[in-house]
Amino acid sequence: MKTRFKKYTVEIPEEMAIPFAGIVESPKPNGEQPMMLTGGWRIYRPVIDSEKCVMCKSCVLACPDATVLLVDGGNKIGFNLDYCKGCGLCTWVCPVNAIDRVPELDFEDGVPFQDALFLLPHVEALYAD
Amino acid sequence: MANEDVKVGRQAEEDKGALGDSRPGTIKFLTGLGAAAHALRMADIDVASSYPIRPYTGVMMMLSMMAARGELDLEFVHGEGEHGQLGIAHGASSAGARAMTGSSGVGVVYAMEVYSPISGGRCPVQMVIADRTLDPPGDFGSEHTDALSTRDQGWMLGWAHTPQEVFDNTLMYYRIGEDPRVYLPQMNCQDGYFISHIPQRVVVPTQEEVNSFLPPLEFPDALDPLNPLGHGPQIFPGQGHVLEATRVNAMMGTFPVIDEVVNDFNKRFGTSYDPFVEQYKCSDAEYVIFISGGHAFTGKFAVDHMREKGMKIGLVRTRWVRPWPTDYLADILSKFKAIGVVETNNSFGAARQCGILTLEVATTLYQCDNKPVLTAFMAGLGGEVIRLDEFYYMGDVLKDAAAKGSTERTAYWIGFHNV
Repeated sequence: MKTRFKKYTVEIPEEMAIPFAGIVESPKPNGEQPMMLTGGWRIYRPVIDSEKCVMCKSCVLACPDATVLLVDGGNKIGFNLDYCKGCGLCTWVCPVNAIDRVPELDFEDGVPFQDALFLLPHVEALYAD
Repeated sequence: MANEDVKVGRQAEEDKGALGDSRPGTIKFLTGLGAAAHALRMADIDVASSYPIRPYTGVMMMLSMMAARGELDLEFVHGEGEHGQLGIAHGASSAGARAMTGSSGVGVVYAMEVYSPISGGRCPVQMVIADRTLDPPGDFGSEHTDALSTRDQGWMLGWAHTPQEVFDNTLMYYRIGEDPRVYLPQMNCQDGYFISHIPQRVVVPTQEEVNSFLPPLEFPDALDPLNPLGHGPQIFPGQGHVLEATRVNAMMGTFPVIDEVVNDFNKRFGTSYDPFVEQYKCSDAEYVIFISGGHAFTGKFAVDHMREKGMKIGLVRTRWVRPWPTDYLADILSKFKAIGVVETNNSFGAARQCGILTLEVATTLYQCDNKPVLTAFMAGLGGEVIRLDEFYYMGDVLKDAAAKGSTERTAYWIGFHNV
């Protein structure tokens, strides 16, 4: 019997094409996704003791959300708290115990006290007349 | 392993005729898992990730033995569970390694979360599955519900019905999954116990032949510390459905690749596999048993016996469940008067109270002008054996159905109605 295959594939217009398996160059060229701030999930905030830090950058590699940043001209570690979910992996991998997990309730601008994460100006703008 | 390298002179000669197989190579006496291990050794896999669960675990025992003896240069990594096991295989494959893993029964479904990321990352991992019934009763025997539960996760999925086919599928699946037109993970399934633990004659080709058939994996954008890449798609709204569509295209694009690879395998190794569907005594059959997996072996003997009694019965065995060979099966199945699907799986509350395969067969036939009578045989559930007399019973039901143009039931529970 002659094999016949109907075409069941989806035609993807050129302008909609995405890279193979969604693989992108690092660091993220996509930038941030301001519609999906995940910092509001955080219970513990990572706080780094820059005196103890040896700049091994293990936390940069470990962060599943790429929220550990190199700041101060690449000389210090910082956190993008708009997206950090507080998972604690950075604390776990730090070889010199320089990253502490502090409850958000201990901060004056802690997640539970903020309106900003839930009422974002650019989201409000979408619904404004 | 006790069952390795046993000389089976006379038996092998006798089997030659029965199995219709006279290909060149070394003859070994292997279980399905032994056959898989030898094929994986010859495929020169780089990483194996294991976690013990019977019955599949035999393949890991043999691979670790081969690695310990220095027969295979292998990173052998133990997972902390099946979820971790699949994660290890995902990472290894992302880094460009030829990775394998495996599981059975509850282990297969414990790893459920990780299947989609692996197929979405287009990592050509191979998973050796020896089917086991899910809990309850958690027995050793084979029921396909474990692997079939993962059929919507973007993995290629197919069953072998002899240890020899396990060996050959292992090599073919890697070549298909690693083809640049495909890049998809594969589930290389065999029935627990019936195939995984019953040794049969297996012809093992030379390493050179395998090397020429299966080139090393070349994975695009493999992880590399000197060239950092973001794996695991981070997408914007408006890209999600495109990502899904690319995976659909990869799966639907496998048909010509399977055709090409299986035919190439046949040419090189002297085998006669149909790329998609095996038809046994179907040329003049009026009604057929449709089946996937190891019970086809018993089914063929039953068909022989029923033919001796003058029944016009045949057996159709699909070698693939994903991708489902729709057009191919539509051509084959629509010419019969009655089809009985042997379901060695269960889908509680499914349409017509049948299993998973009947749903696929019914959808396949819906587009055809001639719609045969379709019924399901719920058999081998809970890992039970499907005996010859039970196949005879199915034959009687189908003969009746072909004559009447209908069946009494949409699904016959074997062991209930026939007692």
